[in-house]
Amino acid sequence: MLLSLDKTDTRPLHEQVAGAVRRAIAEGECAPGDRLPSARDLSEALDVNVNTVLRALRGLRDEGLLEFRRGRGVTVAEGARPHSELQIRVGELLAEAARLGYSRTDLIDMIRGLP
Amino acid sequence: MRDGTATRATTTGGAVTALWTAGVTVVLAGMPLLARDRLPDRLATHWGLDGEVPDGSMPLWAASLFPALIWLVTAAAVIVPLLRAGPAAHPWTTAVLLPMGIVLTGAQAAVIRSNLDRADWHEARQPTGWVVAILVAAVLAGVAGWLLVSRRRGTPDDTATPDEGAPALDIPKGRRLVWFSRSANPWLQLLAAGTGLVAVGALVALVGGLAAPGSLWSLFTGCAVASVACAIFSSVQARVSERGLEVSFGPLGWPGRRWAPGDIETARMEVRRPAEVGGWGYRFSGLGTTVMLRAGECLVVRPRGRRSDFAVSVDDAERGAALLNALRTNGKRG
Repeated sequence: MLLSLDKTDTRPLHEQVAGAVRRAIAEGECAPGDRLPSARDLSEALDVNVNTVLRALRGLRDEGLLEFRRGRGVTVAEGARPHSELQIRVGELLAEAARLGYSRTDLIDMIRGLP
Repeated sequence: MRDGTATRATTTGGAVTALWTAGVTVVLAGMPLLARDRLPDRLATHWGLDGEVPDGSMPLWAASLFPALIWLVTAAAVIVPLLRAGPAAHPWTTAVLLPMGIVLTGAQAAVIRSNLDRADWHEARQPTGWVVAILVAAVLAGVAGWLLVSRRRGTPDDTATPDEGAPALDIPKGRRLVWFSRSANPWLQLLAAGTGLVAVGALVALVGGLAAPGSLWSLFTGCAVASVACAIFSSVQARVSERGLEVSFGPLGWPGRRWAPGDIETARMEVRRPAEVGGWGYRFSGLGTTVMLRAGECLVVRPRGRRSDFAVSVDDAERGAALLNALRTNGKRG
């Protein structure tokens, strides 16, 4: 699998790492059931602290994209691909809204107002 | 043009191998028969480590056929897989068959000489000087043959331009790309588990004093070593990052090898089969070092300043090679 990190990104590192893994899942770099490289491997290759990587992986597990299994490491969850695509689109929506001057709450209100 | 030369070189190599195999066979089988008038009915063929007196013998016909048979089986075991693999794996034939032929021929000559003009095989004396001379000659011949063949093979490769046709990935500015891949061989994992179980069983029997310790210890040691070796080489992880190429073995990721991007001359993808590199696991052959866990895509790198390649059988090797090439050229520019 190929992971890509933007060196000019100013977001917190754990969010960047989570974003990279999310994008890899969305692009089919790793299929459901595939084992992810270990947190140590990821941290060494991406040159990021191992705790940052673990924080990112735990976040993705809470989103339902990853599963932590004892003895099998971290695997991609069933149905993770459409899930991660949606997550990415929500992220893009947030960024676009911010660019146009809408806050998160504005956006939530807009979504609530939809029929 | 180069293909023509290569084919001719292969044919010559094949002819030399065939001639050497046939020649050694004839000499091994023929020597006792030629000298049969001056030999006893049974030949002394084995001497103990401590004494001058022989402790093993064979009838004349067996002493003639047995070494020839060993030789033919070895030659077949070396040549047949290489025939399927093509000319690339060639240095092994020389490195194995040359010293092996010398050892067998020398041993046969020594046996004949010590039995010559004896009335009974018990009178034959151990040819110690001969044995030492034969071993030295065999080692020298093996080293010389290996150097000769690998040098001859190495020359055309050195003139090839490394960048020619090497895939390269376009790394967008300000991006950090990393590539991960792995592969595993379920049969080796199964073998590791099986031998591991036997080792544990032997250890339990040893501790419980259920059986005689002598053979049990060797069973335990053998199975434990086999299990660990199989486990280490049953799976492999490869990753390419700004640190270069890192290859690690086994479930623990140890041992491992690493090359910085600057240490690599070129990277590419190649499809290889176990028959081409001499089997599964960590293999040395005419193609260089190969970590072969399954047939198919291999990531192949040529380390800087080396004449041989390192290859590892992992999926998606094409992109790994492309990323490695891109990192290498970026590093050169920056």
